[in-house]
Amino acid sequence: MNKILNDYLEKIEKYLKPLPVSERVDIVKEIESEIFELQRNGKTAEEIIERMGDAKELAKAYLGDLIAKGHSFSWNRVLAICAYYSLVSLSGLFVIPILVICAPVFIICGIATPIIGAVKLIDELLNLGIPYANYIGISGIENPVVAFIICIVIGIVLYIIGSGCWKLLVYYIKSVSKAKKHLSI
Amino acid sequence: MNIDDWKSQIKRGTLEFCILLMIKQRPSYGYEIISTLEKYPILSAKENTIYPLLRRLMKEEFVSSSWQESKEGLPPRKYYSITDKGLEYISVMSEEWNNLLNSINEIKGE
Repeated sequence: MNKILNDYLEKIEKYLKPLPVSERVDIVKEIESEIFELQRNGKTAEEIIERMGDAKELAKAYLGDLIAKGHSFSWNRVLAICAYYSLVSLSGLFVIPILVICAPVFIICGIATPIIGAVKLIDELLNLGIPYANYIGISGIENPVVAFIICIVIGIVLYIIGSGCWKLLVYYIKSVSKAKKHLSI
Repeated sequence: MNIDDWKSQIKRGTLEFCILLMIKQRPSYGYEIISTLEKYPILSAKENTIYPLLRRLMKEEFVSSSWQESKEGLPPRKYYSITDKGLEYISVMSEEWNNLLNSINEIKGE
């Protein structure tokens, strides 16, 4: 086997470094066997190399996604991971519990407020005397219809805040796990 | 109209099936497989596709391999042969392949 082909095989072996020795030897031996077959069929070294393609590309095809993950150890990566986990755990300590509590509370209040307003309105208009209804009211506003309208507006606002919290929570969790995918040693 | 794109997608999806079918016929070595595939333009693929694919099939235990000395002073060849798991995989693939062909025919209205 001539020098060009030998160099080619050596290059492939070099690029296959991330694989265990036994596998690497086996791969190179197989490619070598292929090269002999091609030579036997009258192909020149140049033709063979052109056919097989760049040594790096060929090795890459074997490594598959191993190469994409990156095997070299780097301090930047470690620091990035430390920063990521510090940030996520610290922010998660506040963000997740706050949003988990706020989202349902605001949503429930948002639904409850207009209902209570409606109860008060019905009670006032029909003089039903529903127990405790006299405790319902907005200070300074006597007219039950106005109070009811204000209740609806407040209800909508509370509901929007609640569902906003929920969306924020989902967004936070999604972006945290998305960021994690990009970080792996 | 870029038919090559579509063809390469078809190739990507079927090469595995074709290689397993070839190995099922009789144990073969890499160069033999590549040469046979070269006869069919839609399936022909280069070393950098076939060898990694064979390796993956081996890792998934659909094929097994063994080095065998060949005559005429040539270096040994690595022969791939089908395993029981591979046979099972082929039969499932064949079934799906027939499903696909039948579906296409039905859609075409033939």
